[in-house]
Amino acid sequence: MDCERIREQLPECLAGRLEKAAREIVIEHLETCSGCRAELAQLGVVWRGLEKLAAPELRPEEERVMHDRFAERLAAFQAGFEQGRAAAIAQPRSVKRPSFGWLGALGARPAWQFGMAVGLLVLGVLGGRYVAAPGHENAPASPDVAQLQGQVESLRQLVTLSLLEQQSPSARLQGVTYAYQMSQPDSQVEQALLHAVDHDANVNVRLSAVDALQKYAADPGVRRALVDSVAVQDSPLVQVALIDLLVQLKDRDSATALRALAHNAEADEAVRQRASWAMERLGMPQPEVKK
Amino acid sequence: MEDEQAMQAVRDGDIGKLELLFDRHHRSLYHYFLHLTGNPSASEDLVQEVFFRILKYRQTYRSEASFRAWMFQIGRNAYLDQAGRQKGEVALPEEPLEMSAAAAAPDRQVENKQETALLRRALATLPDDKREVIVMSRFLELKYDEIASILKCEVGTVKVRVYRALRELGDHFFALRGEKTAG
Repeated sequence: MDCERIREQLPECLAGRLEKAAREIVIEHLETCSGCRAELAQLGVVWRGLEKLAAPELRPEEERVMHDRFAERLAAFQAGFEQGRAAAIAQPRSVKRPSFGWLGALGARPAWQFGMAVGLLVLGVLGGRYVAAPGHENAPASPDVAQLQGQVESLRQLVTLSLLEQQSPSARLQGVTYAYQMSQPDSQVEQALLHAVDHDANVNVRLSAVDALQKYAADPGVRRALVDSVAVQDSPLVQVALIDLLVQLKDRDSATALRALAHNAEADEAVRQRASWAMERLGMPQPEVKK
Repeated sequence: MEDEQAMQAVRDGDIGKLELLFDRHHRSLYHYFLHLTGNPSASEDLVQEVFFRILKYRQTYRSEASFRAWMFQIGRNAYLDQAGRQKGEVALPEEPLEMSAAAAAPDRQVENKQETALLRRALATLPDDKREVIVMSRFLELKYDEIASILKCEVGTVKVRVYRALRELGDHFFALRGEKTAG
């Protein structure tokens, strides 16, 4: 075996994790190769020195604070999960929608659960910080606040997803509202909103989802999905909302779809006119609108 | 109960079993993040974020996969997301040197402390990917097949990467030590 192959096994050898047969081959090689012996000696100095750099063990109070923070969040999730499961048993669902697992159950009483979860988080994070940092009471609070905002944002994502798959249109509308309020785009929420635009039975939910998707419009995949959706919508109101959004986004890739819509005799008159107007706004050649 | 069984239970709705997994693994995760960020507070937040993501993505856990490797995959992504958001702000895990070369006394203990400081500095100057494999193999004592699973590469690749990372760390360390000696 050549030196390079032997040297690649030296870290495992130093860690004592090399199997017996492989170890014997390495030892046999080392007996006859001074270069690899020198390499082993140097790596050994580094390997043993690293032991002193091992991170210190957590202190008991740090352990407790970390565990308490975790336990509070888990309790919030469990409360939502159990209530959602009970609600699911009481009210079987008849409409098949994309599943987000327990997230759906979480939203059974979304406002209450969201409030409770955020409340627990506030108590957990701020309380935990206070306990964990005696003597640092005067430290700036901004990192805590930033962290708390991040965790609230994560909960908002969860609640949004769960609401978007509820049976009640008002709950789904509430989910879209949460999505609109999210500061950080999330791919799962994005997919749920696109699904709502194309498949939600309620036109108001679809319209709201179109508005909420503005935040995701930087994603070319979302833009394509919006363009595709214009042609398949059965609601003129949603079609007009989508056309307006494409104009707002200055999406010139939508030319083909808009032209087809403007020429489609079966499309709603208002939709055809809006498509024609959109092409004008986007600086595209004007179609001759059928009278 | 094995980790994998506990995670399957979490996936199937027994959310409370996650506490068992937290109790078993939060320390190793914390140390992993502490070595990468050098920041205890950020490391704790990352640990919480990992268990939050485990809940969020629990349906994606496959029964045949090692829980520990899956958890570190999630941890790695959480770290990369955070590092991406705070590019340029992530502190290197380097503690200030406690002594200057001029102040160093020639006794063995002080020399060891100084060398430890040099090794810490050398480790901090390694690229993230190299420091990461050293952390995984040396400090977390993860097996090569687990590291391969986390990094999504072959075991042979891990073997080479650990060796090269350790070699580069040695080069940095001995260079720093040489400069000190020469100084």
